[in-house]
Amino acid sequence: MDELYPSISQCAVVATVLKVLLFPAYKSTDFEVHRNWLALTNSLPLKEWYFEQTSEWTLDYPPFFAYFEWVLSQPARFIEPGLLNIKALGFDSWKTVYYQRATVLASELVLVLALYIFVQTSPSKKLAHVSALSILLSPGLLIIDHIHFQYNGFLYGLLILSVTLARNRSTLLLSGIIFAALLCLKHIYLYLAPAYFVYLLRAYCLSPDNILRPRITNCLKLGISIGVIFVASFGPFAYFNQIPQVLSRLFPFSRGLCHAYWAPNIWAMYSFTDRVLIYLAPYIGLNVDAAALSSVTRGRVGDTSFAVLPDVTPGTTFIITLTFQIICLIKLFLKPSWEGFVGAVTLCGYASFLFGWHVHEKAILLVIIPFSLLALKDRRYLGAFRPLAVAGHVSLFPLLFTAGEFPIKIIYTIFWLILFLLAFDRLAPASSRQRIFLLDRFSLLYIAVSIPLIAYCSLLHRIIFGPRLEFLPLMFISSYSAIGVVGSWVGFSVVYFSQ
Amino acid sequence: MSAHKPRRRRRLEDPSAYANHGTIHVDAQTKKQSPAFPLVAFLWPVKGPISQWVLLPLILMVVGLFRWTTGLWGYSGFQSPPMHGDFEAQRHWMEITTHLPASQWYFHDLDWWGLDYPPLTAYHSWVLGKLGNYINPTWFAIMDSRALDDPDLKIYMRATALVSEYLVYVPAVIICLRHLSHLQHINTWESYIALVAILMQPGAILIDHGHFQFNTVMLGLFVASVSSMLAGRHLWGCVFFVGSLGFKQMALFWSPAVFAYLCGICVFPRVRPLKFVGIALITILSFAIVWAPFLFGVVYEQYRNIPIKHLPMPPILAALPFRLDRDALYYPALLQFAQSLHRIFPFARGLFEDKVANFWCALHTFHKLNRYSSVFVQRAALLATLFAIAPPCIIIFVRPKRVLLPLALAATSWGFFLCSYQVHEKNVLLPLLPMTLLLSGQDGLLPSVRAWVGFANMLGIWTMFPLLKRDELRVPYFALGFLWAYLMGLPPTSLSAYRSGIPGGLNTLTKLIHLSFYVGMIVWHVAEGFVEPPENKPDLWVVANVLGGAPGFGICYIWCVWTLLKESHLVAWASPKAEPMEKKSQ
Repeated sequence: MDELYPSISQCAVVATVLKVLLFPAYKSTDFEVHRNWLALTNSLPLKEWYFEQTSEWTLDYPPFFAYFEWVLSQPARFIEPGLLNIKALGFDSWKTVYYQRATVLASELVLVLALYIFVQTSPSKKLAHVSALSILLSPGLLIIDHIHFQYNGFLYGLLILSVTLARNRSTLLLSGIIFAALLCLKHIYLYLAPAYFVYLLRAYCLSPDNILRPRITNCLKLGISIGVIFVASFGPFAYFNQIPQVLSRLFPFSRGLCHAYWAPNIWAMYSFTDRVLIYLAPYIGLNVDAAALSSVTRGRVGDTSFAVLPDVTPGTTFIITLTFQIICLIKLFLKPSWEGFVGAVTLCGYASFLFGWHVHEKAILLVIIPFSLLALKDRRYLGAFRPLAVAGHVSLFPLLFTAGEFPIKIIYTIFWLILFLLAFDRLAPASSRQRIFLLDRFSLLYIAVSIPLIAYCSLLHRIIFGPRLEFLPLMFISSYSAIGVVGSWVGFSVVYFSQ
Repeated sequence: MSAHKPRRRRRLEDPSAYANHGTIHVDAQTKKQSPAFPLVAFLWPVKGPISQWVLLPLILMVVGLFRWTTGLWGYSGFQSPPMHGDFEAQRHWMEITTHLPASQWYFHDLDWWGLDYPPLTAYHSWVLGKLGNYINPTWFAIMDSRALDDPDLKIYMRATALVSEYLVYVPAVIICLRHLSHLQHINTWESYIALVAILMQPGAILIDHGHFQFNTVMLGLFVASVSSMLAGRHLWGCVFFVGSLGFKQMALFWSPAVFAYLCGICVFPRVRPLKFVGIALITILSFAIVWAPFLFGVVYEQYRNIPIKHLPMPPILAALPFRLDRDALYYPALLQFAQSLHRIFPFARGLFEDKVANFWCALHTFHKLNRYSSVFVQRAALLATLFAIAPPCIIIFVRPKRVLLPLALAATSWGFFLCSYQVHEKNVLLPLLPMTLLLSGQDGLLPSVRAWVGFANMLGIWTMFPLLKRDELRVPYFALGFLWAYLMGLPPTSLSAYRSGIPGGLNTLTKLIHLSFYVGMIVWHVAEGFVEPPENKPDLWVVANVLGGAPGFGICYIWCVWTLLKESHLVAWASPKAEPMEKKSQ
């Protein structure tokens, strides 16, 4: 077996240099969010963490992440004590920036390690290596972590580690434990939990031959270890009787259906349809809710209400999401292979991204990253992956709106798309089944449309309309991306269920 | 429909050839192949046939990203009154060229970054200023925009540097490497490795996209000139070289070697006077074309009665033995031409500016040179420079072979850098460029050349560190320097080029010199970073930098001259190997 070049570590070195050069780049309010968490975990006793509200960016991640921030805050004391002051809102001295950006880089080593293990345990190292590089160099992670500022590299590293360990019967328990820990770091991964639940239940807790015969020791082992993880994270807060407060911070249902920017999901298409219907309503005799008009025109307001179409409640979105998840989980339960599991994780990500309440466009990584692990399985998977890779990353562009970062996001994403879509195309083995009629043509057309779209939204719109109609580019991008994500979802579902 | 044309099939070379080129390491026992240094690993997947239409854009995107992200950092003179820095100088020229009549360009308020580059820079500034005025007229508003530090202006300026580089330097380097690899039978894959190495050269990125200047335009025109000469199109070579000179007079560093080479081809192997006349005519014509728009502008303004009478007479004209008629028709053009020359060659300034790692500045540390008259020092500098550039120029004159051109240019510009008058630390980019081009030549990626090119580049950016530190560019300096060393497999990241028993290995003396310099640079950084200099010697670390840099550059100069002598086969004892070929020269 010859070595694979460039190796993961070589790519990591070069990528790290680029990320270091990005230190002075634009950073979103998430930077201040995390600074505030560093400060509050460092300077307050644990029982005040989830009550502290000096800053508007209160702690709304689960306890393990708070502990993680506490650990990160320890060396900060020697580097820049000023950043640990809760009252110093918006504090961003250059040492603070260097320190916080460096912690993102350091925590990303988890991702590097996870990808290394993923490649080593794969049957085809060559294919796995390319997938691993595509995740390591993902423009999504670059934009969100190293410019916008978050710790996704670290968290997705744990996810990949957990998914990788699930491949082997002997490490299934460890996989479950890591996923439980991941849930206690960031609860967004709850979206993927149904797939884990079903897979661990079927492959670990029930006998492989007879689904009615549970394996008691395995059940106990899994139950106890997950219990220990949850006690370790939520235990201290339970001790102080704070669980309701913690949960109210973690699940703020008061937020709106669509996030500030529209994530490219079904609801973005729904909103878009609603907007179009406002103009068509007089001709086809529909009622327009006048009160909702002013809200929708902004397109950015958290609380979207619809003028023509019926309103959507959190309950509805929850039921729809769960329904689509259950459909794919039934198949996983009946045929619990590792590929099926990764497919189910991906489909759970799709369902929650497409139908979830208050979905953020950053959540597209929940789909892209698990899917990347499968994209090279054969050409049919790749066919579904292509529009997702384009749509998912294009939908992240509105996150960065400053002129200085504009060339970075565009050039880097185009670089990644050309490099990896070509590499995938060259490597993906042919499928044993017939390909879906015209799907490839559709995805080529779709990708081609992205170029004029990006050009319009980032340059032409401002030249033509100036500062007016600023919601228009956002709406175009999210509607365009929504088509891609939905298309790839349909494509992937077909592949998943016909496998 | 056009007839089907079969694609040219690339020759597949056997791995031992790659091993002998220094790109692939073959394990002696297992015969397993591995990249000789990390940059090779990054191009490993494209070792087989791959479309250049994909590979080249990908490379250009990556190197562009590193340039742009470097631009996010500081630039020279940011919020540092009273004079600010090169960024302000470039911005100011865009301001004056777009708002003032051409007759004012070389006269306007000379104390505030008066224009002191040749006309091509002025035209370039004019174009960029015009474009910038469309976007935001306040950026270049006359007088009001001085020392402006609008963040959007910074982005605009960064974009101009990047676009200028991609329009001039990048295509020139790509085409030049094509000619070099064709001339020296280098395969395409290895030529691409050299291309990435040259485009990732940290010095040029740090100065142009960090500190802020437009050196890559001058460097690019120079590379275009070299490229034309390598292709045997000497007249085009003259045109581009004059373009380079017409953009920044620093290109003079290379001019002795270019001159010697062009004279050489007219004399050897047989005397061709017509060729010489052609070269001379084209050169003069090119100079005339460079100055013509400016002088036409001046004459046109005269016609429109824009007064110039009050303008002072430049010293060059004042020193003429006869009196000039100020009302003569030719006077305005002559005045402006003389003034531009006066601005471009400021003999009134000192021997060196700031601290620069050349011979004079190093000597000055021990033996103060300001005790001598400036005329004496100027003459001494002239003599020393002539002495230093004579060997490479003579060799390239007597053996005007195309393959020797980069070496001769490197040696001559090292000589110039070390010994001439009025040198900046940034000028080290000039010798570094032809030296780095050696990577794309025969054996260019073997340790015997790669280690030397790397040594010169690392030393080069190290001597610019005090300058970069002032511009808040420490992090990009370390990041890009580390990255380049890493990609090339050089210290401080790897010692692989210094192993024994590999093809093209280095001799012990070279290893000793290189490694002691690397250790010295690391020790210097640690000391500079953590040890305060004593009260009475606040410049201690800067002086130490100069004293380390100057001998290091001297060694690079000697290596270039020695290698040139060896490759030229002028003297039998220097090149012991049997006469190899130069199949298609001349």
